[in-house]
Formats: sequence, C-alpha cells, structure tokens
Amino acid sequence: MSSIVVEPPQHDDDSVSPLPPGSFDGNVWSLAWRVSQHRARETWLGWSLFIVFFSMPAATGYLLGRGYDALADGDTTATMWWAGGVAASETVRMVAVHHGALIWTKAWIHMQSLLRANMLAAQMASGGPEAGQPVGSAGAAITHFRDDAEDVANFVDGVVDVSGGLVFTVIAGFVLGSADPSAAAILVVPLLGVAVGTRVLDTRIKEYRAADRAATAHVTGLLGDVMAAATTVKVNDATEPVLRRLQTLVDRRRRTAVRDRVLEEGVQAFSQGAADVGLGLVLLVSAGAIASGSFALGELALFTAYLGWLSFLPRMVGRLLARRKQAGVAFDRMRRLVADESADNTVRRRVLPIDPADHRSRPPVVRPARVPLERFDVSGLTVTYGDRVAVDDVGFTVGRGEFVVITGPVGAGKSTLLRSLLGLERNASVSGSIRWNGVEIDDRAAFMIPPNAAFLSQVPQLISDTVADNVGLGPVTVDELAAALRIAAITDDIVAMPAGVDTMIGPRGLRLSGGQRQRLATARALVHVPELVVLDDLSSALDVETELHLWENLATTGMTVIAVSHRAVAFERADQVLRLEAGRLTCR
Amino acid sequence: MTTHRGASRWDALASLLRPDAARWVVLGLLVAAGAALTITGPLVVRRLVDRAADGADTSEIVRLASVFLVIAVTTQMLAVVVTWFATVAAWRTTNGLRMQMARHVLGLDHEFHRTHTPGELIQRVDGDVTSVSEFLGKVVTKAAGAAMVVAGMIVVLTVIDWRLGLGMAVYVAAALAVVVRGRHRAVSESSDEMGALGRLYGGIEERLTAAEDLRASGAADHVAWRFVEDSEEALTSAVRRERAFLVMWWFVQAAVAAGWVVALVLGAWLVDAGTISLGTAFLLFQYVLLVSRPLEEVVHELETVQKANGAMVRVLDLMATEATVVDEGRTSPPAGPLSVTASALCFDYGDDQPVLSDVDLAIGSGRSVGIVGRTGSGKTTFSRLVLRLVEPTDGTLALGGVPIADIPLAELRSRVALVPQEVELFAGTVRDNVTLFDDGPTDVAVGDALRRVGLDVLVDAGLDRQLGAAGSGLSAGQAQLLALARVWLRDPDLVVLDEATARVDPETEARLEAAVADLMRGRTSLVIAHRLSTLRSVDDIVVFEGGRIVEQGSRSQLVGDDDSRFARLLAMALEPARTPTETTP
Repeated sequence: MSSIVVEPPQHDDDSVSPLPPGSFDGNVWSLAWRVSQHRARETWLGWSLFIVFFSMPAATGYLLGRGYDALADGDTTATMWWAGGVAASETVRMVAVHHGALIWTKAWIHMQSLLRANMLAAQMASGGPEAGQPVGSAGAAITHFRDDAEDVANFVDGVVDVSGGLVFTVIAGFVLGSADPSAAAILVVPLLGVAVGTRVLDTRIKEYRAADRAATAHVTGLLGDVMAAATTVKVNDATEPVLRRLQTLVDRRRRTAVRDRVLEEGVQAFSQGAADVGLGLVLLVSAGAIASGSFALGELALFTAYLGWLSFLPRMVGRLLARRKQAGVAFDRMRRLVADESADNTVRRRVLPIDPADHRSRPPVVRPARVPLERFDVSGLTVTYGDRVAVDDVGFTVGRGEFVVITGPVGAGKSTLLRSLLGLERNASVSGSIRWNGVEIDDRAAFMIPPNAAFLSQVPQLISDTVADNVGLGPVTVDELAAALRIAAITDDIVAMPAGVDTMIGPRGLRLSGGQRQRLATARALVHVPELVVLDDLSSALDVETELHLWENLATTGMTVIAVSHRAVAFERADQVLRLEAGRLTCR
Repeated sequence: MTTHRGASRWDALASLLRPDAARWVVLGLLVAAGAALTITGPLVVRRLVDRAADGADTSEIVRLASVFLVIAVTTQMLAVVVTWFATVAAWRTTNGLRMQMARHVLGLDHEFHRTHTPGELIQRVDGDVTSVSEFLGKVVTKAAGAAMVVAGMIVVLTVIDWRLGLGMAVYVAAALAVVVRGRHRAVSESSDEMGALGRLYGGIEERLTAAEDLRASGAADHVAWRFVEDSEEALTSAVRRERAFLVMWWFVQAAVAAGWVVALVLGAWLVDAGTISLGTAFLLFQYVLLVSRPLEEVVHELETVQKANGAMVRVLDLMATEATVVDEGRTSPPAGPLSVTASALCFDYGDDQPVLSDVDLAIGSGRSVGIVGRTGSGKTTFSRLVLRLVEPTDGTLALGGVPIADIPLAELRSRVALVPQEVELFAGTVRDNVTLFDDGPTDVAVGDALRRVGLDVLVDAGLDRQLGAAGSGLSAGQAQLLALARVWLRDPDLVVLDEATARVDPETEARLEAAVADLMRGRTSLVIAHRLSTLRSVDDIVVFEGGRIVEQGSRSQLVGDDDSRFARLLAMALEPARTPTETTP
C-alpha cells in the first residue's frame, strides 16, 4: 500500500466471508478438474506416465521375490536372471518418470497461471462482468498469487499420486493375496489405520493452514508497506518500532507455521511407519508358517519390498485429503478477488500462450466504442459509505468542450465525486443518475475509460515498463504518443532520457521526479484523445509555469475537462466552477 | 559458485544456528536415538530368518516378531517428536534471520529502494527465508538422521564381516558422489527460477498497487499480455531446473536399482560359498532398502535444498549490499536550531548528467528558507542530501558547523525531519501512522500533535481507528496534515518541507500555513515548493536552476527588486487572492 489511501474503506482480505467455511468441500474436486483441463494434453500425458512410474514397482517386487526364492534354493544362475529382470523393470520406470516429470512441470505452471491470470484480470478489469472487488493491500495479496495458486496445483498433483498408488495397490493386492492370503489380509489393519487417522486430522489441517496463511499475509502486508515507505521509516528513525511490530507478527506466524507443518509431517511419518508395523504383523501372523518352512524367504522378500511401496498409498491419501482441505482454503481466499466472489470465476477458460512452443500473437486491445460527447448530466448523485455520506445530492451538467473546475476544502468529497463519476467507487453505495448524451450509463466502470473518459488520480501510479507503454498501456502510434507527450508538456524531458520513449521507468516510476510522474500520467490520460478528461488535482506536483502550459495545451485540444483545482489559473479559464463542501454543492 | 562463496554460506548458516545451539543439540540426540532404533529392526529380522532356518519353534518366532513390532512403533512415535522439535527450532532460527534482513534492508539507500520493488523485497525477506527454514526444519533433520543410519549400518556390517561393511561403504559413497555431481547445475537453475518467479510476483504486486489507475485507463489487456510474457519466463526456467534435477534422479534411481541387484547376486554368491547365512543375505537386502529411502528423499528434498541454497545466496548478496551512507559520526552539532552550510556541493547518479553542480549556500540557525525552481532543477536532490538519504559526489555539507558525515545517524534523524511530497501511510491505526508504530509517545502527545495541525476530527474519531484496512482512509489533504503531525511529535531542530502544501484547497492551506509558520518558529526550515504562495512566511529565498543556485537573498529584498528572478517568477504565477494580512505578493 504505497499510494495515499483515499476515502473509501479498502477491502479486507481476511474479512469473514458470508459463506460458511466448509462450503467448498463439494466444489473443490470440480474446480480442480477444470484447472487441470486448462491444458488437457499436458495433464493427461503427464498423468499416464506417472501411472506407469507408480505401478512398475509391482513387477520389480515380484521379480525380487522370485530371486530370493532362487537364492534360498541355492540356484545361483536363476538368481542372476531374476536380478537382470529387476534391472530391466527399473529402467522402464526411470524412462517413464523422466518424460513424465518434464511434462508435469509444464502442467504445474499452466494450472497456476490460469488461476493467476483470472485473479489478475478480475482486479484489472474496468467494470463489466469480470471485475472483482479491489484487493486491499498489494503486499498481502501476493499470497493469493504465490501460495494459494500453488496449493491448488499441489492438490491436482496429489490426485495423480493417489491414482498411481491405487493402481499399484490393486496389483500388489492380487500378487500378495495369491502368495499368502492371511498375511495379505492382516496388512489391511495398518493401512486402514493410517487412512482413518489422517481423515480424523482433516479438519485440524484445514484450520491450521488457514491460520498460517492469514498470519503470513499480515507479515508480507507489513513488509510491503514498510519497504514501499522505506524513506519515511528511515527519516523518522522508525526502524526500531517498525521492527518491533514486525517481530510480533513474525512470532505469531511462527506458531501457526509450526502447527501447520508439524501436523503435515506428522501425518506423513505416521503413514511411513505403517510399512514397518505391517511387516511386524506379517511376521507375527505367519510365525507358524515361517517355523514350518511354508512361508519361504522369497515370500518374505516380496512382502518386504511391497510394503515399502504400499505405504505410499495411505501416505498419499492422507496427504491428498490434507491438500484438498488446503485447496479448499485456497479457493475460498482466491474467490474474493474475482467477480461475484465466486470460485467458478477463478477457473474460467482462458488462452495463455506461455509455452515457448505455443503460437503467440498479441491480441488486440479491446476498448469500448467511442461515443462523442455532447452532454454530460449528473443528477442526484449520492455516495455513502455505511452511514457516512461522502457526496450528497450533487447535480451538474457539462457541455461539449467545456472546462469545469471543482473546488472545496480538504475532505469535502471532491475525489470521491470524481471517482464515482467513473465508477471507481466499488465499496460505496452510489445512487443518482449519470447520463451521457441523455442516455443513462449502466456500467460506469466499463464505459468511462478511454476513448470515452480518462482519469488522472491524485497520486498517479506508474509501472515498471517503458515510457511508451506507461503512456499507451497497449500499442499506440508514434503520432498519438508524441501528441500526448506534447500536450502534457513533458516532451523535453523524454527527449533528454537515454532511450527516449523506450526508456524503462524503475519500480513504480520512481526514477522520475514528482512533477514528471504527474505529467507522464497526464499524457497517459490524454493519449487516446478521450471525449471527457477527469483530472483530480493535476496542479499539485507542478510549478505554476508548467501548469499554465498544461491548461493552455488542453484548451487547444477542445476536450471536455472536469478538474479539481485550487488555482486562479484554473478558475479564470473555467466555464463552470463548482464548489463542494462536506459533500454538498454550494455553487459559486 | 566458488568455494569461497560456499564456505561463507556454511559460515552464515552456522552463525545463524549458534544462538539456539542447545535446541539443535537436543534435536541431534533425538535423531540419533531414532537412527539406532531403525538399524536394530532389520537385525531382529535377520535373527528370525536364521532361527527359522535352524528349525526354531513358533513361540520363538512370535517373540522375535513382537520385538520387531515394538521397535517399529517406537521409531514412528519418536519421528513425530523429532518433527515437532525440528520445526520449532528452524522457525525460531530463521525468524532471527528474517528480522536481521528487514533491519538491514530498511537501512539501505534510497537508490536501492528505487531499483527494487516491494514485491521483490518481500520475496527476499519472507519467501527466501521461508525456504531456508524449510531446509533447516525438514531437510537437515532428515539428512542428519540418514547419515547416522548409514554410519550405523556400515558399523554393524563390518562387525559381521569386514568385507560387507566395506562393500556397503563403497556403495553409499559412490551413490552420494553421483548425486553431488549433479547438484551444481541444479543450484544455478534453481536460482534462475527463483529470479524469474521474483520478477513475476514483483510485476503482479506493482500492477495491484497501481490497480485503480490501470482500471481507469482500460489497461487490463496490456497487463494480461505482460503477465503472459512473465509467466513464459517462469515456465522456461522451471523446465530447465527440472531437467537439471532429472539428471540427478537418474543417477539415484540407478544407484538404488544397482543396490538391489548387487545385494541379490552378492547374497546368492556368498550364501552359496557358505560365507554368510540366509539371514545375513536378507539383512543386506533390508539395509539396501533402508539406504534407498533416504537416497530417494535426498532428490525429493533436493528441491528444498536447492531452493534454500539459492535463497541463501540471495540472502547473503542482500546482506552484503552496503548502504553508502555509513554511520561513523561521533560529533554532535550544538544544541538548538541547526545551521546549514554547503560548499561546492555536487551530486550525480554516476552518469554524465549532474543533478547538482557547485552549490554554495549558507543558511543561518533558525532561519526559514524557501527553495524554488522548476521541476528537475535539483532542489529535491538538495533536500535529500540535507536529510542524508544520499551522499554528495563532491563538496561538503555541514549542519551546525559539523560535516554531515560526522554526525551520528541516530542523532541526525532525530534532529532533522521531513514533511514529504508524498505521504506514505501504513495499514494500521491512526496512532500507528503518526508515531510510526512507536509505543513511546503518550496518546495525549499524539492527540496534541494532531490537534495542532487541525486534524481534530481524527482525534475525536479515536486514535485506535484502523486506517487502510478495515476503517476508512484519509483524503490527500488529511494525509499532508498527518505528515505535519508526525513532525510535531518529533520536535526537530531542522525541518525540510518538500512541496508539502501543494495539494490542499485555499482555506485548509491557510490553516496549514499557520501551523507550518508555528512549526518553523525556533527551528531552521527549508521549504521546497513551486507554489509561491507558500513562501509567504519565509525569511530567505534560494532559486535553483539546472542544478545550480542562480539567486539567493532575503525574501523582502528579492521581492522588492523587480529584476530578480524570484520577482519575475512571482509575476508569472498569477496567484489567487492574497490573504488579508498581506497586500503585496
């Protein structure tokens, strides 16, 4: 959170959802299925190869069993043959996993990318059905893109593991059952014990994981804020207090992390022990057969080998159940970022050509159709946050080419007014009508963007990109770019830069001075020659001469302008001056 | 990866563990106990097989089987205890590292923060450190356990027959050597992958921070395309990393399979020769299985190891980055308002475009100075030099007659304050935002500071009200006032106001100006503005242009002289109505 927090309450990532926490138990499977089908080819191919990898040990174990039988019988030649068979079986297994792993790595990234792309699109959408609730802290939000997406991919991964384990277990069941039915039967006890035990710990796992995620978000949230505000922290010698606060959050997170990890590891260790316990039970049950010699060494080798692999399934099932819970938590958290807070919108189909082998061409940027502005009418506009009225029954009309100035004291609601005109106030309840050429605008956020309307915020944010991309936010012609830079009175500055319009601007545009950033953002607002330009306090970071140039340049373009200003230069050129006080218009 | 680097990484890790040494020692003992139990199990089975071959009765077999069962159960319970212990130890230790890094990063230069996004820094301070903690908690424990098991097995086999012990030792050594060889390539690929991911997340964080602007500009498609490009990089580096790992996997699997084959063939041969018993041949088989589990896990966990390795490399790099502003000062300037003296002061960013050239300036103690000039004229850089956020490339700067580099940083920070152009707020309470998380100042003091700047409404609404997250935010004007309140609380001897009053309306500006004039009393103040009306209450004026001072003098003198640059700037301003207290600009 680096920008100044303007009036509206920001969406709290950790706020309790109106839906009960268990509401995803059913849906997680179908959501994960859709994620896996995003790139179906990679998913299925990878899955098949992993099935081979997981089931080959059945052959290896069987061959080892025969080998030890031959050893006990003293038949060395036969032992050599069986040993050769083991080598061959293992080779097939290794080839399968080589290819499977490479394909699965891609599938893994594809799945996460789908989720990330959907969340990002929802956060970046200008109105429309895809738009999601704006997220509060960018630093805390990273956990959605990093950890939550990974949790879902982990879950699909777990399904692959379990299906492989199932195939192996079925085959092993047959082989062991035909070798010694009672010994095979007793194995059900420890394996079942593991499965039941992990199921019992299920809900705990989910709780702990959610708590850990929340604690982590607090840590990354503070870190993000503090890193962004490093200068303020340093100048105010606030490093120690900040670090003390960080320590508290970090300690709290340690506790949640320990609980989370220990439970996860505990479940795993528990299921690994099943192999040894199983062997002990087999020995116990077959004691008589062993003593009499009917339970041969080969059978013991067979059971020992299989047991090592058999415990894989209960372990994987336990892990899968845990991962399913984690995926449920992840979807629950991720859905807050997308439209309607519906998890279905996190898995919408999308074309993402991120594989180098993909055919890639940049799709054209889609903008709304230009509707030339004749009249812009606002009437009865009221913006409320809960019980606080920020803008109260505001109405005015702007004609084509007019220059309207809005002024008023601090906190009067000027920014709120402008932003609600553009549909940027998602957290407030907005009532009243806004008409474009006499027609009511349904979805302001979707319509009021270039080429219809453009906005310059109080503290404009730039991104790590070239100057040209920061201005155009998509491909623009050289002429369009040059015109915008000229009107914004920043052409000289750009010419002076090392690579001109192709110069990369550093993190969040900090390489530029405040005034340069303001003017560059102005160019961004003007590049598509919008019908209506909305400027929130453009004069703040500029000196008087530069501001004068700007108003003069804007006047020559003939664009319709609504601006917040407190300067004489603005009032003198304005067609209308509207004064806002405590949310109400007191016209001048 | 030179050995020097490798050595320093181990050193860094060791110094990390030292404070919690007792914890790690206890952990070591627990792991050793678990290893001992693990080795004993197969020995029991060996005895069982031999006794069965010798014709023991059922009850003896049952007894041996029961012993094995008890050992199996105990081993698993011990494993859970070990996990708990290890995780606690790992997190305590790495939290120390996390705090160290946060402290270090906060102390780094303005330059550094300019070129690194917060998202990237979060990945370093949190993401990378978490990798290290997983390494310590999971991998080190398992590795230590595995090492003890292998050592124990070799000892046991040597006792039975020295050739078996030797054979096992050679086998393990060969398997490990093969894995280690594959490691180096995997390290660099892993580090590359983390870099690509850092850029991906950094980019996303940036877009989210700029979300409103991007939404208002219809930039969704552009952002989506950039995301595709960043994700492609991540995918490519992930595949490269996986390939490097697979090379190791081949070796390990081959080693494991070879182990089974050799154990079987060797066992058959030795039993045939009458050198070893059936039970011992089976022991060989069981021990090879025991080795294969940790070997396979080594590759599994190698990913955690490489992540941690890459993370440690980046952590060390970051810790090695030094602030150019070094705190070596030991001289305190005299008490009271600080004077500012610059002589031949120069600054540039290392390119050929000097930002400040040959600046000579003398500001008396307690004087208030207005610094004017076009954007890019160097005035902001000058203020950064006074705040010691950057070091001059040439010339000297002195506060209270003491060269700025000789003043202890802590003292400098407490005596020099900044009201910045862009106020940075935090997700926290109103109080947190004024005191910057400092519990020292009383609520009364904080309330007074807020009232002093006219933010009574915030005090009345409650100092513990959350800003930014759950509660409502502040308008830009209120934020500026809050920045002033921060300074009031600190009571500095020198104040730098950087275009502070630029964003408020005339009435609030008047209120602010009164508060600022109040603040300037009894301190030296540098007001950097291009709004000439804010300079009404200063004593002196300095005009910057192109990185040099082109005019300086007392305000009244410059205003009176129509030829002065300052007067000309004023005339061009066409400023709004004068205040009732002044009839001439």
